[in-house]
Amino acid sequence: MIITMRKYVNMLLLPAIVAVSSCGLDNYDEPESKLLGRVVYNGEPVGVRGTGEAVQLQLYQDGYELHSPIPVYVGQDGTFEAKLFDGEYKLVTRDNNGPWVNDRDTTVINVKGTANVDIEVTPFYTLSNVQLALNGSSVNASFQINEVAGGRDIDYVLILAGKTSFVDDVSYTERLEIKGLTPGSTITEVLDLANNADFKAGKPVFARIALRSVGKDQAIYSQVVRLR
Amino acid sequence: MKKSSISIFKVLMLAGGITCFSSCSDFLERQPDTIMTDDQIFGDEVMVRSVLANYYGRVSWGQHISDDYTYTILDEAGKSDGGPDNIQGYSNELWRVYDYTLIRNINQFLKGLRETTAIAEDEKQTYEGEARFLRAWTYFNMARGMGGMPIVGDEVFEYESGMDITVLQYPRSTEAGIYDYIIGECDAISTLLSDKKNTHSARANKWVALMLKARAAIYAGSLANYNNKMPSPIKTPGGEVGIPADRAQGYYEQALAAAQDVINNSPYQLQLNKPDDLQRNFYEALSIKDNNTEVIWAHDRIYPGTGQQTSFTTRNIPGSHAEDIDRAYAGPILNLVEDFEYTDNRNGAIHIRDNQGNYIFYDDPLDAFANKDARLGGTVILPNALFKGTPVPLQAGQKIWNNGSWQTVVGQSDERDAAGRLITSANGPVRNNDPYVNKTGFFFRKFLDEASGASTRGRNSEMWFPRFRFAEAVLIAAEAAMELGQQPVAVGYINQIRERAGIQPLTSVTLDDIIQERRVEFAFENHRYWDLKRFRRAHIVWNGVVNSPTAQQYALFPYLVVAPGTANDGKYVFDRQVFSNSLHPRFFELRNYYNFIDLGWQNANPKIVLNPFQ
Repeated sequence: MIITMRKYVNMLLLPAIVAVSSCGLDNYDEPESKLLGRVVYNGEPVGVRGTGEAVQLQLYQDGYELHSPIPVYVGQDGTFEAKLFDGEYKLVTRDNNGPWVNDRDTTVINVKGTANVDIEVTPFYTLSNVQLALNGSSVNASFQINEVAGGRDIDYVLILAGKTSFVDDVSYTERLEIKGLTPGSTITEVLDLANNADFKAGKPVFARIALRSVGKDQAIYSQVVRLR
Repeated sequence: MKKSSISIFKVLMLAGGITCFSSCSDFLERQPDTIMTDDQIFGDEVMVRSVLANYYGRVSWGQHISDDYTYTILDEAGKSDGGPDNIQGYSNELWRVYDYTLIRNINQFLKGLRETTAIAEDEKQTYEGEARFLRAWTYFNMARGMGGMPIVGDEVFEYESGMDITVLQYPRSTEAGIYDYIIGECDAISTLLSDKKNTHSARANKWVALMLKARAAIYAGSLANYNNKMPSPIKTPGGEVGIPADRAQGYYEQALAAAQDVINNSPYQLQLNKPDDLQRNFYEALSIKDNNTEVIWAHDRIYPGTGQQTSFTTRNIPGSHAEDIDRAYAGPILNLVEDFEYTDNRNGAIHIRDNQGNYIFYDDPLDAFANKDARLGGTVILPNALFKGTPVPLQAGQKIWNNGSWQTVVGQSDERDAAGRLITSANGPVRNNDPYVNKTGFFFRKFLDEASGASTRGRNSEMWFPRFRFAEAVLIAAEAAMELGQQPVAVGYINQIRERAGIQPLTSVTLDDIIQERRVEFAFENHRYWDLKRFRRAHIVWNGVVNSPTAQQYALFPYLVVAPGTANDGKYVFDRQVFSNSLHPRFFELRNYYNFIDLGWQNANPKIVLNPFQ
C-alpha cells in the first residue's frame, strides 16, 4: 500500500516536472520599448472620441509570417502610446476611421528605446478660438469653425458636458446639437444644465465641442476643459 | 530529486509494458460506430436523410427564440432576469456567420449523393435540391453580415502536406456576385424540389427556394439603392462591399417576380382562419403549427427527443402562469408597442395623458390598448390580457391622490394595502434588480407556447421558429413594386397585410411605410436588424443619443388609482419611463454596417481583403 502510494506521488510529480522544465524556453521578456505619438494637424493634436476604442491606428511589422496589425488606440487628446519590441514598424490610420481625409500612407518608425512620432492628418474642419465657461447653470461656448479639406458639409456640432474628464458623443451628461452652422464667423451657443441631475448634485463639469462632417464615422473635438 | 526520477522511469516502463501486451488482442480492432464511410452513408437512404437532418440543425443564426437575449439588444425587448444590460454599441462580430465547415460538409454530401446508385433518381434530385438550398442559405447569412465572401462552388478541398496551398485560397466575391450566386442557385434549386407542402414546413421545397431568391434579391436591390444614397457610400475598391446603383432595378424586378410567383402559385396564403378575432388569428398564423397555411419554412421542434425543444416559453412565461421556477427573463418594450398603429390613427403612441398633462383614467388597463393594430395583441401580452384563458396582471403600484397631487406607492411582490387592494403585482413591472420580475410592462405573446407543460424545464416547448412566411412574400412584393414606381401594385399588397391586421388601408406607399409595416409584422422574427442595415437607417434609428425616442428603451408602468370618494378610484393610469434595466441608448456606428473580417482568416488566406472601417 505504501509502495503504491509512493508511486502515485511520483506520478503526480511527473506533470509538475514537465511543467517546470517547459518554462524559460519559449518565453520572451515583455516589450520594454515605447512608441509615443500624436495625431496632428499643423502641429496641433487633433481631439477625438477617446472611449470605446473609437479611433485606432494600425502598426504593421514586415518579415513575419502573419500580417495582422497591432491596434493602437488614440486617446481623446490625440495622443497614443504603445509598448513594443525594438524594430522597424509601419504605422497607418485605420480605413475611413477618424474625422480626417482617409489617407492610408505609411509612416515608417524605428523603435529603439523610445520613439516619438507625429502622424499628420488633414481634417475636414477644425475648431479654433474655443472658449468654454460656466455661467450660473449653463455652459457658454464660443468657437470658430474652419474648413480645411472641404468637400463635405457639416452634419452637426455638439456642445457636450460630462461629469468626468472623458467627454464625447457617447460619454456625456448633457448635449446640445446644432445644425446648419457654417465655417468662418465666431459662433456662440449656450448649453443649459439647469435640469441636469449631475449638475444639480454638485458633480464636476467638463466640457468640449464636437463637429461631425457628413458621412464620417467620427467627429473632431476640441480639448476637454474642466469648468467646475 | 534522484529518487523521483528513478520512479518515473519505472512508471514509464510499466506503462510501455502494458501497452505492448494489450496490443496483442484484437480489442482495438473494431469498426468505429461514430465515424461512417461514404459507402455506409450513401448506400442507405435513411442515413442520407439523417445527414441532411444534421445540416438542417446547423443553420440557425441571428435572432431566434432559443436565444432570446438577442431580442433585447435592439429595440424590441428588454431583459429582466437581474442586473441591467450595459449594451451601448454593437460588436464588430455581431451575428457574423463564417461557416465554411458546413459548406464543405454539404459539398461532401453532394459528391457522395451524385455518385451513389442506392437511391432513386427523383429522391436524389430532392436531396440535392435541399442540400444546395441549405448551402445558399448559409451564403446568404454570411453575405448579409459581411458582404461578398469566397464562393467555392461544389469544390471539396483536400489538403496534403507539401501541396501548394494558394490553389485553396479563394478571394472574396463581390457583394453583387454573392447575391447573384444565391439567386442563380435558388432558380436551379426551385426546379429540383417539390411544390407540395411538408410536415410543419420543416423541409425546403420549391417555394422556400423562391422565398430565399426573393429575399436575396430585395436585399441586394435595397443595398444597391440606399448605400449609394449615403453621403459616403460604404464600399471597398474591389466591390466586396458595395453594389453599383445601376443594379438596383434588376434586383427589384427579380424580387417582385419571385414574390409574385409565391403569392399567385404556391399552396400558402395569408392565414385568416378567425376573421372575427384578428388578434388570435395573427397569433395562430405564427405560433400554431397544425393546419397552418402561412409558414413556408420553419425550424421545427418536437417532444420528446434530446435537445429538440426550445426553452423560450419556460424562460419568458409570465410569473402568474409559470409551471416551473423559470419566468420573465425578458419582455417587449414600449418602443415596439407604440409602433403598432391604431385602427384609424397611424400614430400608435399610447394615450396616457390628456392635452393638459393630466392622467387619462382607464377602467381596465387593457382599455388603453383598445383599437390598436390586431397584431399587437398577437405579438405582446398587454397588461391584464388573457393568456391560456386567464388574465396576466401587470401592475407597478398605486397612485394615491394626496392633497392635490399623486403619490406613487410601490410594494413587495403581490403586496396588498389595508383595504385589500393590490399594490404591486408579483408579475411586476418593477424598477429594481429583482431577477425574473418583469421590468418593461409587457410579456412576449408571439411564440409563447400554450401547450400544457411547455414552460417546464423537463419538457420545454415544441414551438417552431418560422424563417419564411407568406406575409414576407407580400411585403417583398410591396417594397419591390414601390421601388419600381408601381404604386397601385405596392398599395394593393401592403393593404392585404394591413387588412388582416384590422388597420386602415393606405393610398400610397413610401419606404417609411415599408419599414413600419415590417417592424410590427415581423417582430421577433430576425428581420429588424437586417432591414435597418439594408435601408441604411440603423445609424439614424440607433443614434446613441440619450433619451432619443428610438435609441433609448422605454417601459410602460400601469398603476391602480387610489382616490377614495372620487370617480377615478379603482381605475388605472400609466407612466411612461426610460427602461431602467438598459442603461444606454443603442448606438449603431457606420462600422457596424458590415462585420469585421477576422484577421486570422486573412492570415490563412491573404487573398481575403478587409471590410471598410477595419
